[in-house]
Amino acid sequence: MQTSELEQNRHAILPQPNHDELARQQFVRSFKEHLVAEVHPGNRLAYEHRVKPAFVKQHGREPDDRFEIRDVMTRDPHYRMFSALLRTSQEMMWSASQHPVQRELQALVEKAKSTPGAGGRLKLDPTLEIPRYHRAVDIHCQPGGYHTEVTADDVAPGAIYDRAVFIYAMGQMGPDNADMGGSTLAWIKANYPNLNPERILDMGCAVGHSTVPYAQGWPDAEVHAIDVAAPMLRYAHARAETLGAKIHFSQQNAEQTDFADGSFDLIVSHILLHETSEKAIRRIIAECHRLLRPGGLMVHAETPPYKSLEAFDAFMLDWDTRNNNEPYWGRAHDIDYVELSSRAGFDPQQVFEVMAPSAYQIAQARRSKVFQGGDFGGGGLWFLYGAEKQES
Amino acid sequence: MSEQPQLKRKAKGERPYFFEDAAVDKLLAMLMGLAGEVSVLRDRLDTVERLAEQNKLFTRAEIENYQPDEVALQERAARRALYLGEITRIIQAELEGMQDAGEVPYSQAVDLVTTEEQPV
Repeated sequence: MQTSELEQNRHAILPQPNHDELARQQFVRSFKEHLVAEVHPGNRLAYEHRVKPAFVKQHGREPDDRFEIRDVMTRDPHYRMFSALLRTSQEMMWSASQHPVQRELQALVEKAKSTPGAGGRLKLDPTLEIPRYHRAVDIHCQPGGYHTEVTADDVAPGAIYDRAVFIYAMGQMGPDNADMGGSTLAWIKANYPNLNPERILDMGCAVGHSTVPYAQGWPDAEVHAIDVAAPMLRYAHARAETLGAKIHFSQQNAEQTDFADGSFDLIVSHILLHETSEKAIRRIIAECHRLLRPGGLMVHAETPPYKSLEAFDAFMLDWDTRNNNEPYWGRAHDIDYVELSSRAGFDPQQVFEVMAPSAYQIAQARRSKVFQGGDFGGGGLWFLYGAEKQES
Repeated sequence: MSEQPQLKRKAKGERPYFFEDAAVDKLLAMLMGLAGEVSVLRDRLDTVERLAEQNKLFTRAEIENYQPDEVALQERAARRALYLGEITRIIQAELEGMQDAGEVPYSQAVDLVTTEEQPV
């Protein structure tokens, strides 16, 4: 396998673009890199040079919070240009990722059925209801979302997602898109050296790109991964098997699973929480509490809460809430994790919120070191929230 | 033959527009789509050049040093003039309309065919 910062590892299940399809995808990545490096910084410049002074002149004070900044920035010509281009890049990304999948859809479906075995299982539940928060809008503008199927045994949403994530993060999550899992794993190993989990659960696993590092990092552990979307899981299963990672995938909602009480030593999730809802997130953390054995650990990886950012940066990170079909993004970044955890049964004293360094160092020099819309992984740090379940 | 299943192309959810006139957003999206296709063509040409060099047909240095002769210069200039004429056709058409003394407001033409011309 090649290891290049510029291209994704071509595992056997990844759709194979033809010459022009690949060139189209690579253009979108370059377009996004240009936006991050050359256009994005103009927003702060415009804010400092004209938007904030105009606000101060009118109100006699600086804007209080990200909401006031949004009110004035959305009228700024540079911000509008940036936003129009960023939204367009997102649409182009999905479109360019779709073309090869549409072209070889049936072949992909067949290939996913007959992958070499690492021994992981796949259990689907056609009766599972897709939550309303996934049906209301197609999250981050992926046409059809995670769950829409257009053919029997469909894997298209997974195949599209696997490629789009690499373009979206501009390779900043590594050639296997594994950085969220890899960084969280590294942080857990460094901070809980005695945790040798026998059973691990990854909630909202999508194509299992964050799950694989756990199976590799703890090869003797039994690793489970759940998601609500069948086509993601079919693809995730085939992908993990082809990468030699033994993972048991099942179609379940993290709000209420069929695992027994105390089944897991470690429960993780990666950018799951912001794609749920106010009610769902409470149920998910309560479910984590039920599923952990006493002394077990949960860790959820996200982008940093707004309270840790200055108002302008919070405004820029909030871009996705309004403009990229991420309706819960903003609210999720204002969550009181201590309150959330204690209501779910965790000891408030056990709750931690930390910034963990990215395990994918190759991209480090190129990162913007800023948390901002359209620059996923650019910060070079992941926000981790979690808690240990008290020994009974 | 059965119909090939078609992927959904539009993401569910109302699309935001950022400029007062959404046509500006749409033109930008078209511009970036076009820029993308130019980049695709350029990459394809790059592939052709590298393969040609690899297969010893000609080198990229030969391309850089290529001097078009008089015939090639004239043909290229003519092609560019035609190309620009096609792209800017709408501007020329408006000017030609102004120069045409017989051009009347369109409503007059509508009036003519609805009032003056009686059915037979």
